[in-house]
Amino acid sequence: MNAAFWDKLQKVDRRVLYVVLVVLTSIGLFLKAEIPVAVDDSSADFYAKLMKIDPNKPVVVQTDWTISTRGENMAHLECLLRILMTRKIKFVYYSATSDAPAFQVATDVIRHINEERKAMNLKVYERGTDYIGLGLFPNAEGANESMRNDIKKAWGGRRVRMPDGNETDIFQTPVLKGVNSMGDFGLMVVVTASDTIDFAVQRLNDKVELTGMATGVIAPGMLPYYQARQLKGFAGGLKGCYDMEYMMKHGINHPEEGGKIYVNAGKIVGEVPPLGSGKDLARATQYYADLHIALSLLIFAVVVGNVAMFAQKKAKKGAE
Amino acid sequence: MDQYLFIKLSVGVFFTIGLYSVLYKENKFYRFCEHIFLGLAAGYSLVAIWTSILYDQWWLKMTGVPAEGTSKMVPGYFMYAVLLPIGLCGYMVMSKKHNWMSKIPIGVILGLWSGQQVKNWWTQYGAQIYGSMQPVIPTTWSSLSRPALYTFNEAGAKVPLSPDAAAVIRSNIYATQALSNFIFVVTLVTALSYFLFNFELKGKFLRSFNTVGRWLLMVGFGALFGSTVMARFALVIDRMSFIWNEWLKLGR
Repeated sequence: MNAAFWDKLQKVDRRVLYVVLVVLTSIGLFLKAEIPVAVDDSSADFYAKLMKIDPNKPVVVQTDWTISTRGENMAHLECLLRILMTRKIKFVYYSATSDAPAFQVATDVIRHINEERKAMNLKVYERGTDYIGLGLFPNAEGANESMRNDIKKAWGGRRVRMPDGNETDIFQTPVLKGVNSMGDFGLMVVVTASDTIDFAVQRLNDKVELTGMATGVIAPGMLPYYQARQLKGFAGGLKGCYDMEYMMKHGINHPEEGGKIYVNAGKIVGEVPPLGSGKDLARATQYYADLHIALSLLIFAVVVGNVAMFAQKKAKKGAE
Repeated sequence: MDQYLFIKLSVGVFFTIGLYSVLYKENKFYRFCEHIFLGLAAGYSLVAIWTSILYDQWWLKMTGVPAEGTSKMVPGYFMYAVLLPIGLCGYMVMSKKHNWMSKIPIGVILGLWSGQQVKNWWTQYGAQIYGSMQPVIPTTWSSLSRPALYTFNEAGAKVPLSPDAAAVIRSNIYATQALSNFIFVVTLVTALSYFLFNFELKGKFLRSFNTVGRWLLMVGFGALFGSTVMARFALVIDRMSFIWNEWLKLGR
């Protein structure tokens, strides 16, 4: 091929690539393939932890993300809520970030999961009896520090409207009855798109078992915490969330029909069952297949661009 | 309700397309969407500051909450009122004459923050320092890699090993573990050595050590960048899903 061809290839308008990306990612959404995956140790630990915690102890969910990272964090929170609701674990949630819509966004996800469960004839979670929303705390450092010192003072005076219409002190509700300190929670999960996980580790990792779900940008920074056992497990990025959905369907070390084990995590001793009821493969599964298409396009463009550059140089040298 | 939802989603799609239109070129449609977005964000934050933050965390604590139903009355604590003038002092930064007053809230925040840092530093990094002390010499050569902590029964199902057998396996360092730990320790030490700026590294060995650290840091940055790219793609995919799955109700 002559230099003109490579020259033309090098000068392809970037907008053409954008159009190709939009078309391919749109097509990818309709594929919904269940891609076999080797789950990360951190995801396996997180799933095993969620499936093994005492259902009589409530879980704290700190949700620090907004629409700008919905692609990953919404899938994370949906996945977490499906597990908690299926296991009938009560939870309390709040946002500790300066992004004002964070709490509302999380509330919308709870409503959406409740609608999904209602359509599947599963138990719907009621505010006050099954979960409590505490609102927005604009400063994660301050919020986590006061929770560490005295949970009753940090959340004191708050009331929640119960299903019967009466307002009740949050510590008198079935969710928080008997909770006097962070150690009384079964687990804390930080769903985040920012460094709030750092503050939770600094302030709370010695008070409550801490786990996390974070975007692909934040997740690599969580690895040192996981390796030092400050985090008992985490789901990082879309891959981590797909791992979770995959384990929700197949369990860990769990033989299915014909004795086939889909997730063989040697680190986890014994068997962790799949979720059993409710949705398992959902948003992350759909996006994960699509991510492969987008990344293939990226790799293809990088390879073609580099080949074109070298071929162009070679053709120019030949012409001289 | 369905009609309201459709209108809401349609507005979302309108602004999604508007904001992505900048990829074609800078245009007025994009600017319009951007300004609406910024205005909404500012307005929403203003309301949220009162409803979600100041009302719950300051006003109710100051004024107290009356008894209702089974809930007892919570007495108010009027010392919270002192926080208002202290906080407002922060705005004095705008005044040339009185800007010294803005240093009061900054001083309080810095004092509180500094006091917490010693404990926080140790809680954050103490466990990581301890976890970095990894053994690099194998304690057994009975197997190159760590044996599984389970066995299979006659039906082919996994059965955990006895606690004693598992404890023996866990207490040993196998060759592949030692190699992995060695790579970890070399990476840690060389990467840290890259940040030694107090004295000049002399000699071929020390300089090479430093160079290895720089290369390993670059490998780390490459992995971080790869993870970031995946995160960005997830955002595009979600917007496509918003249009196709949620708005047009196709492919759900």
